[in-house]
Amino acid sequence: MPLDTQSAIIEMQGISKRFGPVRALEEASLTIHRGRIHGLVGANGAGKSTIIKVLAGILRPDAGTIRIDGQEVTRLTPALVEKLGVHFIHQDRLLVPTATVAEAIFLRHEPRIGPFLNLRAMRRRSAELLKHYFDLDLPADALVQDLTTAQQKIVQITRALAQEAKVLVLDEPTAALVKREVDSLFRVLRRLRDDGISVIFISHYMQEIEEICDEVTVMRNGTDVGVVDPRQSGIDEIVAMMINRDMGEMYPARSVAIGAPVLEVQGLSRDGSFRNVSLTLRAGEIVGLTGLLGSGVKELVQCLFGLDRPDAGRVAIDGQEVALGSPVQAVGRRIALLPEDRRAHGVAMGLSIADNIALASMQRYAKGGLVSAAKEAAIVDGLIRDLSIKTPHRHNLVRNLSGGNQQKVAIAKWLSCQSRIYVLDEPTVAVDVGAKVEIYNLMNRLAAEGAAILLMSSELEELVGMCDRTLVIYRGELIDEFTRAEADTDSLLAAASGAARKTARETA
Amino acid sequence: MLNLSTPMPIEERLKAISNYAVIFALVVIVAGFAIAAPSFLTGANLYNLILNNVVMLAIVAIAMTIVVSSGGIDLSVGVSVDMASMAFIMLLKAGVFVGTALFAGIGAALVVGLINAILITRLRISPFLATLGILFIGQSVQKIASGGGKPVYLANAKFAPTFNAIVKSEVLGIPTPMLILAAIAIAVYVLLHKSVFGRYIRALGAQPGVAWYSGIRVPFHTSLVYIIAAGLCGVTGILLSSTVKSYVPLSGDGYLLDAIGACFIGTTISAQRRPSVLGTLIGVLLLAVTRNGLLLVGWNFYWQQVGIGLLVFAVLALSFGLRGRGH
Repeated sequence: MPLDTQSAIIEMQGISKRFGPVRALEEASLTIHRGRIHGLVGANGAGKSTIIKVLAGILRPDAGTIRIDGQEVTRLTPALVEKLGVHFIHQDRLLVPTATVAEAIFLRHEPRIGPFLNLRAMRRRSAELLKHYFDLDLPADALVQDLTTAQQKIVQITRALAQEAKVLVLDEPTAALVKREVDSLFRVLRRLRDDGISVIFISHYMQEIEEICDEVTVMRNGTDVGVVDPRQSGIDEIVAMMINRDMGEMYPARSVAIGAPVLEVQGLSRDGSFRNVSLTLRAGEIVGLTGLLGSGVKELVQCLFGLDRPDAGRVAIDGQEVALGSPVQAVGRRIALLPEDRRAHGVAMGLSIADNIALASMQRYAKGGLVSAAKEAAIVDGLIRDLSIKTPHRHNLVRNLSGGNQQKVAIAKWLSCQSRIYVLDEPTVAVDVGAKVEIYNLMNRLAAEGAAILLMSSELEELVGMCDRTLVIYRGELIDEFTRAEADTDSLLAAASGAARKTARETA
Repeated sequence: MLNLSTPMPIEERLKAISNYAVIFALVVIVAGFAIAAPSFLTGANLYNLILNNVVMLAIVAIAMTIVVSSGGIDLSVGVSVDMASMAFIMLLKAGVFVGTALFAGIGAALVVGLINAILITRLRISPFLATLGILFIGQSVQKIASGGGKPVYLANAKFAPTFNAIVKSEVLGIPTPMLILAAIAIAVYVLLHKSVFGRYIRALGAQPGVAWYSGIRVPFHTSLVYIIAAGLCGVTGILLSSTVKSYVPLSGDGYLLDAIGACFIGTTISAQRRPSVLGTLIGVLLLAVTRNGLLLVGWNFYWQQVGIGLLVFAVLALSFGLRGRGH
């Protein structure tokens, strides 16, 4: 047995993958041994999901070799991967909601008698499998949509086991589970491991990694930076490996007098997303906001811009309570949102730079309902120069700009609006380093001019480098606040992953 | 701005030429018919062509252009035309004052637009399905109201001066319907290409998410688009019923496909393949001239349709083919 666990079931070596100018994977390697639970961790954008998509046959790598069960595979397809015994349990449940448990387990592998489905065998076998692996008496005729999330996950795993899976890949399997369900899932995984099945476990939750994994591959900037035994290394060392400490001169220094409160949020809640969040944003202040995927951060931002409605709580601007029922009202209150999905919400790729910049503040460009070309030229050219947007002319299409310049156009739209409250959602995603620094400088300048900035980022160095304070949301609650002096990437990541902050908790 | 100091690569040149493919086609077709059918290039033919085939279609096509610019489609343009026509004729017949009947006619079309707007912005039905539903309902309503589709004729002498004043009069030697088209074309050109509202429409058409995230009142502006379009179709309804001195149920439906065709043929004159008033007018001319010319050279109605279809393919193949396969 010990010898067997040493042999590799999956070996991925020197995997590289580019998306246009973005290097998603650079010589990344991942080795999974038989009968081990293997953790895969890294900050957002480190390349975790890309390497998993390569393994799943969804993305074709530009370079590298993949061996599964000792056999080198060159053209991996989702069907082939499954045939080789590698099964993926996705974050979003990929089951047909109106199928029965038995149908879901045997989907595309139904037992047959001649051309007909053998429904009796299907029901019997699924009940046996559930009983055998999970000691679970789930009725084979129950509908998938009536099951709990944990039960659905078990049905997915059972489906893989019914096809004699050798490797299970679980992407954030605990995200929607309560503690009790997490415990039972872990019991199942350990049993499967003892039966010789390998598990790849992808999670942002560090304690879970420490609890369940036999070994962990840490990824950073598109490559693997080490394989560690979490029981020996501990969370701190893994987190340190995840984070690039080289911050250098990325974050320009600034000193600004912080003024009066501009935005005050009191007890804001939205059912199923976040609870009882209170925060204050002052003039001249840059406040960070972070949380893992599904923590409720995104939903909170949606509410602040009127894209969603909170179920409880109040929002006040300059001490006056306001209703933010739609983006129309939010923009009217001079709130700006730089959305994360630039293509869908930030800039209209098919319109010109001038069209985009003027869009949210047309009243400034208008003369009796008509657009004044002279005003447009003056304001837009001023902003193009001011933000050094690299383009030959304001009438050029935004589509033809680089990512960083597109983002500057999206920001310029709000500068044209003379916004006072800037909510920036991942402002430097898919932006090159040079433009990144320009965006940071711009943020500092806006703050110096009296704007209040809420910076949402999953790039923790950015928060540490830029923010006067950083707020951390964990599972829907604002659980911690770090001053500039207190904030470092390790403690932010620990807080976002739900780890108790020792000093703060003990003194509190 | 184009950098003129370096020569344009050949692909760029082809792309620039491709924008004029449809104008080139129009010139060739006009020249061709001028040779093939001696009666084509006569004043009387062109006058009739424009008054009877171009003006009414062009107004509907311009209405369609507004809707398509906003990223939508209006399949109920014919219903708006017919509702205006029905209200106008029936009220005249009932002895209502001409001015009142005119306003009621346009008003009836605006109601169609308002219903479209409510379906699209409140019930969030896609423009295609919402206006398709109104097309079906509008057709049935007309059949019910007209006793199974019987036309309402007002051919007696009492109404002749009214209709003549609308479609046969001239101002400074130019027929009134042409002036109406010119006024509408200029107004919509300014609206789409020069006004603040036009910017919002274009943003909606280009990327509705960005418009919403920029604080634009998307439902309000979308509603206006469908209401304005229906009102313009109402103008065609008045001109149509005044020309034929009657209300003929479902006669507006004939404009639907030509209007969509003209609008999309017109997008080929823009580098970004966007709808524009000028492009749509060229598209209308292309369709109307071809149909008229084929009639004059003696093709029957069914072969005319084949000719139009081939023409559309030819223009689009020329226009898109020149752009290169990369697009």
